[in-house]
Amino acid sequence: MKGIDQYIEFFRSERQRIDAGSQAVMNAQREAAAEALQRLGFPTQKVERYKYTDVAAAFAPNYGISLAAASAPQLEEALISRYGTLARVEDDALTALNTMLAQELIVVHAAAGEHREHPVQITNTLRATAPLMQNRRLLIIAEAGADVQVILGDRAEAQQDFLTTQVTEVFVGEGARVALYDIEDTHDRCHRFHQVFAQVAAGGHLTHTAFTLASGVSRNQTDVQLVGEGADVQLLGCAILNGQQHVDNNTLIDHRAPGCTSRELYKYVVDQQATGAFAGRVLVRQEAQQTDSVERNANLVCTDQARMWTQPMLEIYADDVKCSHGSTVGQLNEAALFYMRQRGISESEARMLLKQAFASEVLHEIPLEALRQRLHMQVEKRFRSCDDCKLCKKE
Amino acid sequence: MLEIKNLHATVGGKEILKGIDLTVRDGEMHALMGLNGAGKSTLSNVLVGHPAYTVTEGSVTFNGKDLLAMSPDERSHEGLFLSFQQPVEIPGVSMVNFMRAALNAKRKYQGLEPLDAGSFLKLMREKRKIVELDNKLMSRSVNEGFSGGERKRNEIFQMAMLEPTMCILDETDSGLDVDALRIVAEGFNKLRTPQTSAIVITHYQRLLDYLKPDIVHVLIDGRIVKTGGPELAAEIEERGFDWLR
Repeated sequence: MKGIDQYIEFFRSERQRIDAGSQAVMNAQREAAAEALQRLGFPTQKVERYKYTDVAAAFAPNYGISLAAASAPQLEEALISRYGTLARVEDDALTALNTMLAQELIVVHAAAGEHREHPVQITNTLRATAPLMQNRRLLIIAEAGADVQVILGDRAEAQQDFLTTQVTEVFVGEGARVALYDIEDTHDRCHRFHQVFAQVAAGGHLTHTAFTLASGVSRNQTDVQLVGEGADVQLLGCAILNGQQHVDNNTLIDHRAPGCTSRELYKYVVDQQATGAFAGRVLVRQEAQQTDSVERNANLVCTDQARMWTQPMLEIYADDVKCSHGSTVGQLNEAALFYMRQRGISESEARMLLKQAFASEVLHEIPLEALRQRLHMQVEKRFRSCDDCKLCKKE
Repeated sequence: MLEIKNLHATVGGKEILKGIDLTVRDGEMHALMGLNGAGKSTLSNVLVGHPAYTVTEGSVTFNGKDLLAMSPDERSHEGLFLSFQQPVEIPGVSMVNFMRAALNAKRKYQGLEPLDAGSFLKLMREKRKIVELDNKLMSRSVNEGFSGGERKRNEIFQMAMLEPTMCILDETDSGLDVDALRIVAEGFNKLRTPQTSAIVITHYQRLLDYLKPDIVHVLIDGRIVKTGGPELAAEIEERGFDWLR
């Protein structure tokens, strides 16, 4: 079997077991998802939003899927009725595939006015003895005035081929605040497709951070609709790549209401033969007057073989807005490098410090002190070769 | 300690140094004067191993070792320090982290353990005072948002931290007002030990009034054309360089 067929056939033959371990609301959407997937097929690189990542190649191998056997306790209908309302299967094959197969659903719900002091931390650790595929769903709902922070951690402990799809839906209610930190620290045999669909109501605030410390092939898609007046979103991203790694961040910020603000900053350090891609589209609709939007993508490309594609896009249909977008691709500052070497810092250490400094701009935007410090350490560890890494030896 | 023999060097294929001979003994301070383009900064860049400069002929020995065979960081560990004419900004690298990396690299080279955090900060505090550098600059990125005077004082501060034996001051007086010049020059004088040698590059007498060099050289078109005592600097101040051509 080839391409999507192996997934659709698997779904048809295992439908009962898939349903048994899932929420009813998920099962209700599977058939439509399968039909959409059949119709759409895997997106080729001719499809604009997928031009930088070869989806068909990632899904071609034969992965095992482990199904949850037990019947799942059903969650309150009211809580999960919004499942699948932002992540629409009709338009996107990956969303359809995930909706068709996903069993695991995590719901983070903050009631109106509820302030959660501590972040909710969800860590996925991949462990398997044979190639494994995982399909996950996350639903974050912050009702009006609520405040919630979610830290997603993706790790892989086994040296194995992994393929994960995740679809996250985020509802930010009126005046609510949601911070979502998505931190991937896997390895070069992992393929990951994460799609975030978010909606921010009037006066609501969403921060989303996509931090790729290590990966194989990663595509992160983040679509945000600002639907109420004065809604605000901040998208942050940092990707550290070497070897043959590939990270593709594809974002859409849809300004649908007046007086909304959006800030976007993605930074990449692309070393060796790695490839990075960033495509960020900011859409300012006619009704979105007084939009204030800044989009920036900055990249360090460290070798002749490393590649970076960057595509900041701004589409404005309103006439009273303040918007900017831009991107840079460059190398380490040679003058700074030499200055450091004159002070006795070795070339490798100087390069490491400069790369770390480059990434730190994104880290500075993270208000959670403990998380920021941990990421600082992980970034340093990542940039050092294993041999002279002090951090490893301590552990 | 530093012996330069028949040094020729090019940058971008153009020959700038055309046979420099210069010997600096322990504890001596030499001043190097000359017009723009004479090769003063090229000489300092060649000595610290800047990759843009190519040595085509000649030799440099430093404490008996072949200086030109060493990497820039090795030269630093061996005791060579350049106070840059234009110190660069390094956004995102804090002064504290930068200094710690530099000092611990030197200690490692000397076979010493890295300094613990407490001792390191104490040392920073002591050395900062020598050039009256504000503590709040230490948490900033290297040279970022520093005034011209603060940058030059920062150079002398780094010198104080690393305790080099051979200091090259490349137009440390440029862009400094009278007060800043005094602080920088007095700071440098405090750091000097009987073993510290220096090459001071300048256009003007002003800095030399503070530093009091033992020997003054005049560099024209890549060669040292005249060498004398401190009185030579005074003479240049009065008569310019034309009479030496």
